[in-house]
Amino acid sequence: MTLFSQILQYTISGITSGSIYAVIGICWSVVYLITKVLNFTTGEFLMLGGMLTWGFHGAGLGLFPASLIAVAATICIAIVMERTAIRPVRYPSEMTYMMLTIALASIIKGGILLKWGSETRKIDPIFGTDVLHVFGATITPQVICVIAFLVIVTVGLSWFFNYTLFGKALRASAVNNTGAKLVGIDISIFRLFCFGLAGGLGAITGIITAPITFTGYEIGLLNGLKGLVVAIVGGWGIIGTVIAGLGLGLLEGFCAGFISAGLKDVFALLVMIIFLIISTYRIPSVFKRETS
Amino acid sequence: MNQSKRAYVSLSLFALAIGVLPFVIPSPYIIGVMCFIAIYGALAMSKAVLMENAGVFSLAHPAWFGIGAYVTALAAVRGVPPLLAILIAAVFVAILAYVMGAPLLRLKGYYLANATFALLIIIEILIGNMGSFTGGHQGLLGIPYLSIGTFKLQGDRHFYFLSWGLCLGTFWFLYNLMNSRVGRAMRSFNDSEVASMSMGINVPNYKLKIFVITAVMASLAGSILCFWLRFIMPAMFGFPLLVELITIIIIGGGKTLYGPLLGSFIVMWVRELIHMYLGKVLPVMTAEVDALFFGVIIVIILVFMPGGLAGWLEQLIHAERRIRERFGRTEYPS
Repeated sequence: MTLFSQILQYTISGITSGSIYAVIGICWSVVYLITKVLNFTTGEFLMLGGMLTWGFHGAGLGLFPASLIAVAATICIAIVMERTAIRPVRYPSEMTYMMLTIALASIIKGGILLKWGSETRKIDPIFGTDVLHVFGATITPQVICVIAFLVIVTVGLSWFFNYTLFGKALRASAVNNTGAKLVGIDISIFRLFCFGLAGGLGAITGIITAPITFTGYEIGLLNGLKGLVVAIVGGWGIIGTVIAGLGLGLLEGFCAGFISAGLKDVFALLVMIIFLIISTYRIPSVFKRETS
Repeated sequence: MNQSKRAYVSLSLFALAIGVLPFVIPSPYIIGVMCFIAIYGALAMSKAVLMENAGVFSLAHPAWFGIGAYVTALAAVRGVPPLLAILIAAVFVAILAYVMGAPLLRLKGYYLANATFALLIIIEILIGNMGSFTGGHQGLLGIPYLSIGTFKLQGDRHFYFLSWGLCLGTFWFLYNLMNSRVGRAMRSFNDSEVASMSMGINVPNYKLKIFVITAVMASLAGSILCFWLRFIMPAMFGFPLLVELITIIIIGGGKTLYGPLLGSFIVMWVRELIHMYLGKVLPVMTAEVDALFFGVIIVIILVFMPGGLAGWLEQLIHAERRIRERFGRTEYPS
């Protein structure tokens, strides 16, 4: 392998993982902007998608019906979680929400561990296993599928939030919850919708990435955290999250390739810590966001 | 009797009961569980003071515990006297907490929690990836006994007294701290940072101080744990421990100091019961499966009893006082 094809290979793997982080980041920010809940179960939705598909597929269903049922089940779990655990909390504060969602994440994780054990699982690729060769680097159809999914999600959500009445109402309630209530927007439907959307997107991401990165009960935590990194660095917006996600993916791909594969998660998390620390120093006209 | 006298009387009665217990019930199993209760209780107390009283929502507490345990173990394995090793670990953790805390504590709310959570995961990965230096994911074996001079501490009973000494010492220290000028200042900026700043309280300074103090306490608890088990691995200090600590604080109620101790007692015995009765039914029994049950407990308590057990007890005392008032007695119990 020449250096050029090596760099190309790292770029491709970086863009692939970056697309995953970008979609997860969108899941975080959709829930956070509307409900002000930092939902730590986002990563577990990704895990649930992959593991449920594996489970249903192993029970004798075809791959496509199994993944449909898995997505539906994850959406149901997300909605039930919002209704039964997050909504009834009496004195909600940031700390309470955070501890609650960490607890819910460990419930989901422990449940899957009990049901299907701790081995890593693999789902067969949906679009075959033919490999494309470009300048010495290899691309599988699954990688193209992941990138296409990111494009569809970005374009679709941008259209939805900017050109439909429901999406505009969602944006309004993200800007000012009380004001949105005053003009007659039903917030409680939106909370359910946002959790369902995050669950569905997370589950689909989990299913389409399972053939590449494998799936297991423990993949939720780190992938979810990296999604959070991306959402914070991207400023909770869709376009920013996508750019930050691809950037983080590339950084991680090159760190894994040239420095150390074991420490790539450390670099990704350091990005968040360093970004947060820098953003507390208000450099004029660079960071205008409040970070409190 | 005023409040502080009453607290000292109840603390010494409790210490007496704890001191008598191993002679009344000499079962090594119960003594072992009580050691865990003491160590986790000390850890949870310092985290509760940091979180609920000083308002610094830091999730990196298990990381200080782990670093304290690892530094002590690494020094002791290389032949450093155990007491000196504990001291080295405490100083190391203090310096590290100061260096990390100074920039991180500029953050607030969710952002502080996220940054410290990332710090916890980073430290867990780093310890696991250091290869033969820390023993990697398999853990570090062969930690020597804790010896003071020629006296060697071994067996559960010695560590029972040591860990309860640490726990009650932590309680005593934190009780005095929270009822001093510093503690009152901390409670005031938990309620309103702007108001206490305008009264002349140096909020960032106090936050950094309490952050370093609680980190050192966690490190001491970690040192004692590593000498007791004589085996440590990175998985002991990661996400499952965080869930466990949060459970302890939520069950007990973090606003008071005895709450986390109560929570630690309940959580440890619940865990033992789970292992005893469900161990045969369930296929795997790891810290993550414990975290499943603790997660259910956290959700139930947060939804139905937000103050925890201690908050509930305080409510009871309050109700009793009001009943007394109604029946015309003006004498208050405190």
